[in-house]
Amino acid sequence: MAPKSSSSAKEKLIGEEEEVLQAVILADSFNKRFKPLTTHKPRCLLPICNAPLLDWTFESLALAGVQEIFVICRSHADLVKAAIKNSKWSKPNAGLKIVPIVTAKETFSPGDAMRDIYTHGIITSDFVLVTGDLVSNVRIDEVVRQHKERRKTNKDAIMTMVVKESGAMHRTRSRGDSAVFVLDAETSECLHYEAVTGYPPKKYASIPREILAEHPEVEIRNDLIDCSIDVCSVEVPSLFQDNFDYGDLRRDFVHGILTSDLLMKNIYCYIAKEGYAARVKDTRSYDSVSKDILSRWTFPLVPDDNHPGGHSYEHLRGNKYIAKDNSVVLSRTCKIGNNTLIGSKSQIADNAQISASVLGQRCIIGAGSIIRNSYLFEGVVIGANCVIEHSIIGADVQIREGGRVAKGCLIADGVSLGPQARLSPFERLSKRRQEESDGDDEDENDEGGADGEDAEADDGEDGDDEDEGEEEDEDSELEEVEANQDPEALAKLGEGTNAIIWPPPTVDDDEEVDELENPDNQRLMRIGDEALDLVLSDPGSVTSSESESESDSDEYDELYGVSNASSSATSLPLSVPTNLVAQADSAAITEFQNEVTQSLERAFAEDHSVDNAAVELKTLRMASNVPLRRVREAVVAAIVNRIKIVEGGNVPQRKEIATVIDRWGGLIDKIGGVDAVETVEVLQAHCASSDRLPLFGQILAALYQDDIVEEDDIRSWHAMPSSQGEDVKSTSLRDNFKKCWNFDEQESDDESSEEEETKVTAKVEVEEESEEESDSDDSEAEAKEPPAATAAAAAPTGAGPPPSTSGGSKGKAESEGSDEDEEDEDEDEDESEEANEAPAATTSIAKDQGLLPPNTTEGKSKHESEESEDDDEDEDEDDDEEGEEDEEEEDSDEQVGDHKRSNDSGKP
Amino acid sequence: MNFDVAPVEAVTREFLAIILAGFGNELLPLTGDNGDEPCPKALLPISNRPMLDYALSWVEQSGIKDVLLICPSTHRPSISHYIHSQSSSASFSSVHIDLQTFDESQELSVGTCSVLKHFSARIQEDFVLLPCDFIPPPSLPLSKLLNKFRTDTTSDGSIVTTFWFEPPRADKGATPDEWGSASLSTPIAWDDLSGTLLYVDTPDDVDHNGEELELRMSLLSRSPRVKLSAKLQDSHVYVCKRAVLDVLQQKHQVDSLREDFFPWLCKIQYQQTKRAKYGHVLGALANSVSHSISMKHSTLHSNNIARVKAISITHPTSNSSPLQQSRELGYSIPPSPADSDDDRTVYTSLRVGVVIHRAESGFAIRANTLPSFLEANRHFLADTPYTLPSDPQKRALIDQKAAISADSTVGDFTRVEERASIKKSVIGKHCTIGKMVKIVGCVLMDHCVVSDGAKLEGCILGKNTIVGSKAELVKCVTQGGYEVRENETFRNEKLDVSDWAADPDGSDEEDEGTGGGESSDE
Repeated sequence: MAPKSSSSAKEKLIGEEEEVLQAVILADSFNKRFKPLTTHKPRCLLPICNAPLLDWTFESLALAGVQEIFVICRSHADLVKAAIKNSKWSKPNAGLKIVPIVTAKETFSPGDAMRDIYTHGIITSDFVLVTGDLVSNVRIDEVVRQHKERRKTNKDAIMTMVVKESGAMHRTRSRGDSAVFVLDAETSECLHYEAVTGYPPKKYASIPREILAEHPEVEIRNDLIDCSIDVCSVEVPSLFQDNFDYGDLRRDFVHGILTSDLLMKNIYCYIAKEGYAARVKDTRSYDSVSKDILSRWTFPLVPDDNHPGGHSYEHLRGNKYIAKDNSVVLSRTCKIGNNTLIGSKSQIADNAQISASVLGQRCIIGAGSIIRNSYLFEGVVIGANCVIEHSIIGADVQIREGGRVAKGCLIADGVSLGPQARLSPFERLSKRRQEESDGDDEDENDEGGADGEDAEADDGEDGDDEDEGEEEDEDSELEEVEANQDPEALAKLGEGTNAIIWPPPTVDDDEEVDELENPDNQRLMRIGDEALDLVLSDPGSVTSSESESESDSDEYDELYGVSNASSSATSLPLSVPTNLVAQADSAAITEFQNEVTQSLERAFAEDHSVDNAAVELKTLRMASNVPLRRVREAVVAAIVNRIKIVEGGNVPQRKEIATVIDRWGGLIDKIGGVDAVETVEVLQAHCASSDRLPLFGQILAALYQDDIVEEDDIRSWHAMPSSQGEDVKSTSLRDNFKKCWNFDEQESDDESSEEEETKVTAKVEVEEESEEESDSDDSEAEAKEPPAATAAAAAPTGAGPPPSTSGGSKGKAESEGSDEDEEDEDEDEDESEEANEAPAATTSIAKDQGLLPPNTTEGKSKHESEESEDDDEDEDEDDDEEGEEDEEEEDSDEQVGDHKRSNDSGKP
Repeated sequence: MNFDVAPVEAVTREFLAIILAGFGNELLPLTGDNGDEPCPKALLPISNRPMLDYALSWVEQSGIKDVLLICPSTHRPSISHYIHSQSSSASFSSVHIDLQTFDESQELSVGTCSVLKHFSARIQEDFVLLPCDFIPPPSLPLSKLLNKFRTDTTSDGSIVTTFWFEPPRADKGATPDEWGSASLSTPIAWDDLSGTLLYVDTPDDVDHNGEELELRMSLLSRSPRVKLSAKLQDSHVYVCKRAVLDVLQQKHQVDSLREDFFPWLCKIQYQQTKRAKYGHVLGALANSVSHSISMKHSTLHSNNIARVKAISITHPTSNSSPLQQSRELGYSIPPSPADSDDDRTVYTSLRVGVVIHRAESGFAIRANTLPSFLEANRHFLADTPYTLPSDPQKRALIDQKAAISADSTVGDFTRVEERASIKKSVIGKHCTIGKMVKIVGCVLMDHCVVSDGAKLEGCILGKNTIVGSKAELVKCVTQGGYEVRENETFRNEKLDVSDWAADPDGSDEEDEGTGGGESSDE
């Protein structure tokens, strides 16, 4: 009990008069993992095994011989102050001097707090730095001794971290926030600190090679629990002051010191082989630390001895603890399981079952209720036939008959639920604010009767807090939550409830979220959450229940590996693609594509600017770590799908394409890299496998017009073997690829069909074209043309293909618009011969493709030939070098073509 | 049916030792051709014993009877001669050496992986792979590795046992930089408790990330306490299951066993994608596990009995028909997709075992670089103090006034003239050491001629090297048959025959070289 340890501390005080051992407690958690339990109370005052965490921390420090403690508090500072004032440690004979220090509310991280400590100048010697949620029985004085010893020889040894040897999967070892320590095996100097986040799973621990130069043999430890007990030298706060960006003690400070080339400071580890030390840093560790206390790992700090709250419990077989003062009323038929603590004045009715749980003082459990693995603070009233599992229930919560609290729920102080309430897993409830004041009155002095000091303090400070500006944030948050209540969900809480439901944690897009606070990672820190659906490749991948079921180590391997394999889905590995990886890849890519589609749909719908959409895409790409090509595919696909297939001919269709491409085409080049050839490839691949196949040529033309694709790009795309679909397996798809590759046919067909409809326009265009023909640069000239002409311009650019495969299409291209001939003279001469040989093939291909509706074919081709003739004439006027040859060839070509077509059109 | 051969083999021998004798490009110019005569690395002497001797006797002591010795085809005659010569056959009477060759040239050497793949048909059982240049520590018999392998494979399905040692610390400045670095230590990570090799840093990894070592978290969660050391060197001694060869056959991009294949093999332990792909080859199929469990509970008991049965039947009547054997085995051992030799294990960790040998517990070295070759030679000097030969004929060759320190070795039939001084050196057989010659810390191979008044310090002289009178060599290495002319001085150089310095006499030397080579063969 208390006097024992305090007297030992007093002995220390007498023994080591020369130097007072100071400790600093960071009493603020700087995160919101216990929300809403912490809306009106700081975490360090939450009870664990019926004593506030802060008292456990004091007890731990007293055990280590600390004589002066500074408590750094930020939120609910008054509550903390009051708690300190009321605690037994403030009594004159306690031998401990506890000084609360209130920091500014702008203190957002432990680093800020350390800078505050520096400015306060309270530290005079080596000190122990702990957090306000520590439960420990480690001999910190031994650590301090070693630290001081080391300091004598090495002035740069500024810090000693206490770590506890465990296993990679110890229940107290956080799955979401752990670390890999690289230590010198002999001196246990910490050479490298690698923080590990549970989700998304970390794939590699990177160890700087330079470590090996000085320390050829090191140990890499992934089995240490970081106790968050640090023995620091005086200069540690000043280091924080110098490096104003240090936030977290580990991830920033330790990592920063160890990687810094300038500071030349050393940090050591103290590997505690005996003893127990752990932090309650999340609800999951709340659970595990409670269990550790109940199973007496923390001896001599156990409920039946040295209970920090000053309660006394009787320790019964099976680690059951029942308050000693005979005030507990246990029904004859109730069942109390192992590892259970029941506070004084509690009443447990008939047939109630309680196992592995902690009940605060004055809890009332109704008949037939079942409470498993749950933590009930004081004054909780549970009606009959309730089931509560794996949850934390705040003080004075009332759950009426038939309530079901599924695993992982957090219910804040003062909530009352109606009968037959149903809570889904991981729900978080708190009391409605407006009713709060009423509630306090209505509570019929339950609180007043509560264990005196604390409750009084609570009540008193509650009011104060609300006046303070600091609490405004909290309030506004509360307000927001209140404003967004889902009545249906509320209805499940039963009639007459005063609860509001907190939304599940989400990532706010605007807010930059620390990876630790990622909701998925937070799940690993939640009570009762096995996170079986999360795919982890880190130590946490095997939860306790899993490892129980998988007794066979080999099975475990299998299981382990499966998770490992699928984990690659989240960040695509560079390793040799195996089947599994490939599957995972494709899964990730599909997921990514879906996300891109959604994001683009949003952009389309809300008419974002191209730049904004691009930024969003870039972040998406970063998040999924997919190659650029995938992004391009997704973007092109989304844009192409955006194009509506317009019934009624080419003009409206073309217009539609132009609108979409004009508006969104620019996005293709803003995704983080420009590769027009790839764009064409991707476009081809997409069109080949979608119903937008016939649009390929037009889209390409539109892209060309918008300068997204240059002529050269199309040429080099055309020259690639893959663009003919050579490596495509499925025949139909390959045909589609071919169709795209021979897109100039489409063009000509489209062209002709358009001509049919709007002959006059075409004529005009042709005239324009011929006027501009003097300009040697076709593409430029064409670019000024309306879409109709651009299509024609894009078409001849396809003139590069090897003759053997493209004889047919070549012929078409020439017959249609032979401006190309200028440029590709040599090639064309060869090819046009080819074309002569196989003119029939052209049309038959066109026919096969079904691109030419049979009934219109004849008319079309007629017009087309007319047009081409016009073209040719123009051209001949312009450049004589082209000579008669071409014309003749083309003429004959067309004739044969016409002939063939008319034949074809005869067929159904 | 595969097992009509395998079980019989398994009965007759447990391990096959495979010794790879390469060209030893790191040892150039010592391994350069001595005229037309190749100088196989395997036969380079360490303390007047060919280095192959060390490996062979290590193997022999462990009780392995069969050795597959693989060397380049050009080396075949000399190595074959050595194996069958009196000196060695006496000592390795119990070992059957199968000498095989592969075709490659010194300039374009084939990777060790392809060599092994090429001979996989000859390897039917678990095997020990050794280099020819490893000088094993006296305190560690090969059987210790074999025993670890035996325990690990049967207990939890380990597939390989490797052997890493801490090379002797090289004194700074002992050898010039021109010789290259003494030992190429590789950072490795291993689990000390279970003796499992987890990670080997490869040149590719360094290319990939020169700043940091990347360890997979899956590795660290399987073995939370890992040691990482940059002090150790791979001995290139691997005890492998036969199934490892099957995996090797499936891997195409690997070149070197040490740098590519085994580091990769370590990853199968914790990388599930690889495990999924190659696990069945190594005998870790999930159904084979349930299989073996069911086997365990079957009344017929484990296949050990079946195998014993097979042994009892097939062994005495070795000419029993394969059909009969397979029928016999057919009902006792259900066919398994994997090699049905030894992988009938319940736990298939696919571990890569590791034995770590510290420098304190005995000298081990791989004599595959010039500095380590010299170091190996020097090491053995201290072991056996020099005494004058007792044979009067040999003794007569050594002049009374020659000073030979106790920490030297002088080979048979070597003539040492008066006032020659030899300290901390190894002198080969049939050498001639002239008057007033000073030799300190050198290795002279057979048939070297050192003329009067020459000074040698820290040198390695290849076979038939001729040093002219009053020449001075400091920290030099010569190719076999090299001739140092009178009064020449060299420092920190590798002297090979084609060197411009030796140009004028190149042809002469070659003649002499061949002559010398022949005589050495006699």
